Amino acid sequence: MTQAHSVILKIDGLTKLHGQFKALNSISFNINRGEIFGLLGPNGAGKSTLLSILAGSSKPHTGTACFDGMQIQPNNLKLRARIGLVPQDFAFYEDLTAKENLVFFGNLYGLQGTLLTKKVNEILEIIGLDDGKANQYSKYFSGGMKRRLNLGIALVHSPEVLMLDEPTVGVDPQSRNRIFEAIKTINATGTTIIYTTHYMEEAESLCNRIAILDHGEIIACDTLQNLLSLTKTTINFSIIENDQTKAGLLQQKLPTLKQATLQGSYSLASHNNPTPEIINLLVNEKIQIISMQLDSPNLEKVFLSLTGRHLRD
Amino acid sequence: MQSFIIAKKELKLLIRDKLTATVLFVLPFAMILILGLLLGEGFGQKNDDLMRISVLNLDKGLGLNNKPWAEHAIDDMVSTPNIKVEIIQTKELANELVKTGKRAAVIIFNQDFSDRVNECSFLSTGVNPFHRDGIYLEKLQVSIVKDNKQPATSAIIESVCQIALLRIVMPWMIGKAFEKLGDPEFIELLGKEVSLPIPPSLRLLMPKEKIPLGELLELASGKDVVLAKNYREKVGQGIQTALTGQFKNYNLTGKSWASLTRSINNTETVKTLTTFQNDDGTGILKRGAIRYQILVPSFTVMFAFSLILISGWIFVAEKRQGTFNRLLSSPVSTPSILLGKFLPTVIISLFQIFFLLALGKVLLGLKIGLPTWSLTDWAIALIILPIATSFCVASFSLLIGLLSKNETQLALFSSVPVCLFALIGGCIFPWEMMPDNAKTLAFLTPQGWALDAFREIMPSSFDNTTDFNLIWKSALVLTIMGFILMCVTWITLGGIRFRSS
Ligand SMILES: Nc1ncnc2c1ncn2[C@@H]1O[C@H](COP(=O)(O)OP(=O)(O)O)[C@@H](O)[C@H]1O
Ligand SMILES: [Mg+2]
Repeated sequence: MTQAHSVILKIDGLTKLHGQFKALNSISFNINRGEIFGLLGPNGAGKSTLLSILAGSSKPHTGTACFDGMQIQPNNLKLRARIGLVPQDFAFYEDLTAKENLVFFGNLYGLQGTLLTKKVNEILEIIGLDDGKANQYSKYFSGGMKRRLNLGIALVHSPEVLMLDEPTVGVDPQSRNRIFEAIKTINATGTTIIYTTHYMEEAESLCNRIAILDHGEIIACDTLQNLLSLTKTTINFSIIENDQTKAGLLQQKLPTLKQATLQGSYSLASHNNPTPEIINLLVNEKIQIISMQLDSPNLEKVFLSLTGRHLRD
Repeated sequence: MQSFIIAKKELKLLIRDKLTATVLFVLPFAMILILGLLLGEGFGQKNDDLMRISVLNLDKGLGLNNKPWAEHAIDDMVSTPNIKVEIIQTKELANELVKTGKRAAVIIFNQDFSDRVNECSFLSTGVNPFHRDGIYLEKLQVSIVKDNKQPATSAIIESVCQIALLRIVMPWMIGKAFEKLGDPEFIELLGKEVSLPIPPSLRLLMPKEKIPLGELLELASGKDVVLAKNYREKVGQGIQTALTGQFKNYNLTGKSWASLTRSINNTETVKTLTTFQNDDGTGILKRGAIRYQILVPSFTVMFAFSLILISGWIFVAEKRQGTFNRLLSSPVSTPSILLGKFLPTVIISLFQIFFLLALGKVLLGLKIGLPTWSLTDWAIALIILPIATSFCVASFSLLIGLLSKNETQLALFSSVPVCLFALIGGCIFPWEMMPDNAKTLAFLTPQGWALDAFREIMPSSFDNTTDFNLIWKSALVLTIMGFILMCVTWITLGGIRFRSS
């Protein structure tokens, strides 16, 4: 239990400039060992910039990032073997087969012999390229297969932390599920996952904790549950017109109820789901319902409420 | 070691790319072959603006200083500015060369040439070789075989021959004639022919108006035979001295043009005397043709440095594919990454060089090295020099590849070392075809150094020594250039990797 909550990555006041442009503005948060941490943000929020610092490929202007108590710095080559980065863009040799790519990068990280063979086969299975595809030139792969190979290469040296930069962009639903399954499998073996995306559904379905990044700043960082509770659940319903007389009663029982523009239409927002309460009320008062629609909270709405903008534009 | 892993991968990728592999090995050779077959005989020979006179020397006699007159004539032509003399070995060859139009004319000194020149004299008993326009060649046993299709050139060659013969025969005849002045027979003749007038005061003694010189001398000697002979000789000497004084700018007894005209030998004239070499090679591939001695080193060097483009291309492709970033974010050290990318280029470059040299030797009869070379010499030529060249090529490739962000930049950046340097370095047009200071400029480029050394190990026809100092120097310069480029690359890559913004 203590293991699950020990901090593996400590990010403290990171600022990164691209010229004059502040891609990251003094961000701080921690990532715990063994969790699937989501980094959610629109395009240009600074997600890739952050990951490149965490992978030791680029240097922050101020602030530090510590991995297991050691500061991550580009010239600290030893740390690199403990971190795996799945870059946003494909990064493998198109004229090598999937297997050859894995073997090459395995070699590069010092793996050899049967250990490497075993590891490669294991990865091919995890990413679903273990059939005839393993020996095909990767340039002939579909987008989804390329994404999976891109992921597989970052796994070959068994990193303690696996960082994925938008690994499902341009991927068919089948490959996307495969990738999700792979991530869960990897996480189950104790690997900490940092998952970067601008799809809120992905963060919701995969991550334990999520940081929302916008314009280079962390605007929220918490468990999914806590984030969702930042917004209200809205229920919209319409009642039959001859029950209009009951409207006053409803208004009286539910002070936060809002009358919509259309006659007989109402909406109610609440931090906890108001559905049972409303249904009970309507049944008890014998008010006939025409329609009822529940608008549950999601990260999109959290983002909207925090920034006043939509996650995807 | 990580470097070898990267290098192995790189070579694997390159071998899979059939087209590139073809370009690397087949293209250079194809170009050598095509150019070799297209280019004329003169290609690659020193364009020294010398008029070539081909001579066949069959002269068996002896002339002045116990040297055949033909050799005197050849010496004369060789010493003439702007003329080089080429000795043709046999009459058959001479006829063949003229018949095939390879030579416009060949001057032949036949076996009696010296004897005929010896017989030349102003005396009525001697051979008079002169006519209005010059010398009767047939009287001196000189013949010229001419190609009727090249009348202008053969006319010039004939004029050169005429002038040379005049300069041989004239002084010889004058010298001999002058000697004759001292001959007692000549004085006797003179004594009979020349009559001196007797002054009136002496007419009492000799009641004549004139007296022949001979009688006068006899009179003076008082019939003493020895004294008379002595007087006659004195007259001879007197005439000679008088004439010598009169023509003091000439040495009338000189018998050679230089002594006759008292001209100081112009030592600055480059004397070019060569023997005919068949530069054409044999067979349809023109095996052994001299031009391959120029073409092969030129293209070997040029294509070695063309690897900058190909290696750079692979490097840029690696960047585009994103794998370069993966390499950089791996725990592999920067020197190992560099070495991994560096080794394949060295290996390919070495392969390419040996491929071209081997193919050149087998198919084109290329001459490499000299029989006098020791094992060390061979090692310098075929190991040290190729390695130094490949080292420089690989370092250059790395830097250009690293600096180029995309293929367009690469094409732009590499055009300087691949095309411009090849041109300046003399790989495209041999130095011989370029202005005098071209070679100085060539040494600003690695190609110039490499080419200089590679040409040294593939001797051209008239060069039977190898300047190993030159090869050493080139290898050293190439290594230093490569080392500097390597350091720049290392620093640049370190910057990208560790000080990246
Ligand atoms: N090398 C760079 N030079 C200049 N600006 C950059 C560079 N890389 C990224 N940026 C800018 O920094 C911001 C963050 O980029 P990035 O981290 O890639 O965002 P994300 O991955 O969240 O989409 C963007 O506005 C982008 O335009
Ligand atoms: Mg990104």
